[in-house]
Amino acid sequence: MKGRLPWIAPAMVLLLALSIFPLIYSLKLGLKPAHFERMFHDRLFHIALWQTLLFTALALIAEFVLGLSLALLIDGLGRAARLFRAGLLMPMLLPPVVAAVAWRLIFNPQFGVLNGTLKGFGLDTSHLTWTNGEGAALLCVVLVDIWEWTPFLFLLLSAGLQSLPQEPLEAARVDGASWWQTTRDITLPLLKPVVLLALLLRSMDLMRIFDQIFILTQGGPGFATETVSLYIYRTAFRFGNFGYAAAMSFVMLAITTVMARSLMRVMKTK
Amino acid sequence: MKRAAQFAVATVALLAALAPVYWLITISLKQEGDQFAVPPLWFHFAPTVQHYLKAFQSGAFTRYFANSIVTATASTVLALLLGVPAAYGLSRFPWPKLSFWILSTRMLPPIVTIIPVFLMLREAHLLNSLAGLTIVYTGFNLPFVVWMMQSFFDDVPRDLEEAAMLDGESRFGAFLRIVLPLVTPGLSATAVFCLIVAWNEFLFALILTQTESAMTLPVGIAAQVTQYEIKWGAMSAAGVAAMVPVLLFATAAQKYLVRGLSLGAVKG
Repeated sequence: MKGRLPWIAPAMVLLLALSIFPLIYSLKLGLKPAHFERMFHDRLFHIALWQTLLFTALALIAEFVLGLSLALLIDGLGRAARLFRAGLLMPMLLPPVVAAVAWRLIFNPQFGVLNGTLKGFGLDTSHLTWTNGEGAALLCVVLVDIWEWTPFLFLLLSAGLQSLPQEPLEAARVDGASWWQTTRDITLPLLKPVVLLALLLRSMDLMRIFDQIFILTQGGPGFATETVSLYIYRTAFRFGNFGYAAAMSFVMLAITTVMARSLMRVMKTK
Repeated sequence: MKRAAQFAVATVALLAALAPVYWLITISLKQEGDQFAVPPLWFHFAPTVQHYLKAFQSGAFTRYFANSIVTATASTVLALLLGVPAAYGLSRFPWPKLSFWILSTRMLPPIVTIIPVFLMLREAHLLNSLAGLTIVYTGFNLPFVVWMMQSFFDDVPRDLEEAAMLDGESRFGAFLRIVLPLVTPGLSATAVFCLIVAWNEFLFALILTQTESAMTLPVGIAAQVTQYEIKWGAMSAAGVAAMVPVLLFATAAQKYLVRGLSLGAVKG
């Protein structure tokens, strides 16, 4: 105990000041029955919560399927794999604001390159509004997230694949198992811890999505792409209702806590 | 045949990953008349650097750029100064519960902490100041530094510093002269990660810096987007300028990318 304290004390002081103290402050601010009653009846909050979960589910599934497929695909490419890997990581490294700006230049109905290309082929694009239309907006922001974050799952799964023991795979091949059989019965079960870890890390980030949607649609049109983080942001910093915003943020905290606990369990067993 | 198909799919994925970025770059380099031509001009246009000149001559973007550099650098240095000794302490006198608790603070959703942090900084008159944002980023990166550096210190055999301590070194001396030089690669990778996180961060910066003199680059770019008349050229030029440092950082830390992104769980 004595030997450890001088090393960790300064860091602990700052961490307590910037995480535990704010949390207590926030509880004091938001933990009032009136706020929870309002949350219970607040339809906009329910929509935002539902859309956040939908966004998370759609993006997570697509990113996982694509990331895993790409990892398996590129794993077999030998020396060229390095080059592909480096290029594929680009979207994830950009500042999210810059990535979203790039996609505004694509989706914009009048000036965007997407409608521009379609017009070039002589198509009528007047009804193709992408992020400006209520129907497609949520799918568009999901698409942007898939573009931006599939590289994350790809990278972790790819690293996982490379660190797998080679013997069981060799043995299966010698026994005449097909690529698909080997992948399904040996590779994927061995990869499970990395898969779990990657999915949990990603879903925690998806649940708190803010930057890209703020730039792309500001939660609109109407309420079509509003998420919990955006709604809390608006409640606190546009309408000045800090108490209610803090109360809503506890829902985020609860969901994240459940995910973080599972994540820690995965990390401890590794 | 199968290999050719594999290459084809990988190439398509690569193009899909790079095309939006490439488009952003071309917009930043095009004359205004060329930016939104139909059909779009992917390759054949007369490039110009006027948007870059305009963006940085206006002064505002130069300011945002400088603010981003100052907050990212200062918060990284502070997080390392506080976090590296803590990581060493936790590596040599393990306390797994505390390590995991420290990591868990990193997982708090920003929207949860931003409300009280905003009110606290307002009380302390630290809104719209680089100092306020630097403190927040330091706190944000600190758990990451502790967690990552602990895994690097764990890789260094204890015998080395114990031998030095038998020779009369103090523990701090052994840490400084024997252990620290051995973890330099890990230390630089961790620093690069902190720089990237602080450089890319948006939500805290948006709320804590609302004046032109304190805004960071992402907030400055966002402010352009939400205006009625968007200056596409200047905005994409600023976007390109914002992404260059990150890509340089990432290249520098390439070897440890997986380890950092998985919070040390996958060694890569």
